[in-house]
Amino acid sequence: MTEWLEVQGYRLALDRYYERAGHLWVLVLGPGRVRLGMDPLGVETTGSLAQVALAPPGTAVRRGEPFGSVEAEKFVGPLVAPLSGTVVAGNAAAEADPWLVHRDPFGEGWLAELAPSDLAHDLPLLAHGVGEVTSWFEGAVAGYRLRGVLAE
Amino acid sequence: MSERWRLLADDGVGAAEGLALDEAIMTAYRRGQPPRAPTLRLYTYRSHAALVGRYQHLEAEIDVGACGQTGTGVGRRPTGGGAIVMGEQQLGVAVVGPAPTAESPKELMERLSGGIVAGLAELGIEASFRGKNDLEAGGRKIAGLGLYFDGEGAMLFHSSVLADLDVSFMLRVLRIPAAKLGDKGVAAVRERVTTVTAETGRAWTGADLRPVVALGFAKALGIDPAEGDPTADERARAGWLAAQKYAAGEWLYQRSPHPDMSGSAVVKTPGGLVRVYLESSGGTIKSVLFTGDFNELPPALARFEAALKWKGLESEEVLLLARGAAGGDPGLGLSPERLADLVVEAGERAAARAAASPVRPEGSCYFPEVG
Repeated sequence: MTEWLEVQGYRLALDRYYERAGHLWVLVLGPGRVRLGMDPLGVETTGSLAQVALAPPGTAVRRGEPFGSVEAEKFVGPLVAPLSGTVVAGNAAAEADPWLVHRDPFGEGWLAELAPSDLAHDLPLLAHGVGEVTSWFEGAVAGYRLRGVLAE
Repeated sequence: MSERWRLLADDGVGAAEGLALDEAIMTAYRRGQPPRAPTLRLYTYRSHAALVGRYQHLEAEIDVGACGQTGTGVGRRPTGGGAIVMGEQQLGVAVVGPAPTAESPKELMERLSGGIVAGLAELGIEASFRGKNDLEAGGRKIAGLGLYFDGEGAMLFHSSVLADLDVSFMLRVLRIPAAKLGDKGVAAVRERVTTVTAETGRAWTGADLRPVVALGFAKALGIDPAEGDPTADERARAGWLAAQKYAAGEWLYQRSPHPDMSGSAVVKTPGGLVRVYLESSGGTIKSVLFTGDFNELPPALARFEAALKWKGLESEEVLLLARGAAGGDPGLGLSPERLADLVVEAGERAAARAAASPVRPEGSCYFPEVG
């Protein structure tokens, strides 16, 4: 059962690890498999998604490299892998209906699954747990609000 | 002291060559490269080039036969958005630099487009950035914007500034709903799009606008644009990219996870018929066009069109937008509920076509994205 944390009006799943800059989450499904998705602030600040294109299974990616791309309001940009590994699955439903990512970013709107290659190295780089997630997320929301990107 | 940017100026570029140089310039801004100031490229295409957005299906958005007959080049941009026509009447703007990590795409587009806004202000044109990532003057689009991050740390900002626009020609080569409306099509575009020529009452070409826009960037961004040239490496890479990527069928005719799909719906009102053309992609509305038996687009419908762009195709949200757009204006005697139903109906038809065919047959109902 997923526990939730509410920060500045956003619900965040506490069982995830968060890539701070890219606003992506990582859910460890098992020793050899993780699931990736966007957090709600990432979704909101990227804009209305019109396309989600994911790398095919078998693609090896390193942390910081793209595992797919999105189009949102005339912006085309990469989905940057928060950890290294090999793509084992893409969410075809999200590719077919990117609005799923808006509606349910932690659930049906997940993006891809990877077989991680160095979880022990990569996971500690991500925000996890009430303290780290709250501190990072409050700062991120405050920054966007200060710059007028998000409504007060 | 203001930061010195490299300013590149070139005219009459081909569809593939123009896009290829933009990408070639990005190489020097990738992670691991020595820091350098951004590049501002102000250029015009050889008349004409029809360019689709990154994930559009080219044959669905562009009449390739008409392009062949008119000597119009075709291309696919790395940036998002819709199909556009470029030529000597439009100024292409490219800003290339490192992709910032602390700004959202919308913030970045607004900041960089400030250079164009400031340039147009020099001509007495009051343009502004709108939430849909366009620049408008008097409620009509005067420049389109696009943005691309390459995943290796570099960014490309694109804009097409309309010095002028041959609307009839655009309707001939782009597959847009207005093209099916005969003379009314030209009027429909002119109600939604303006140009520097129209705003100033004086003929402008894209090249004429170059010094104006360069000055705008200098003022708005506090930079010093210094004329320069592409490096030998950039030229060589651009040549390779033009031949191997931008002119190659694999890039031009690639299929996206799902194409933009269109649908339309019609309703009878006391004032006559009103039809809506809608294009969506993955549950997101990309463009909307209302046409009907009216001489001028009613303000309520103009507001509704603008409000719908890049919103989710969901009944409740569409109804909220319809109510907001209608305001005190009854809008042809249509209630907000009926207007919302009309849009949702068109969207459902688009979705049904998407489900029935992963590749759209010919015919697009895409309203012109002029940049």
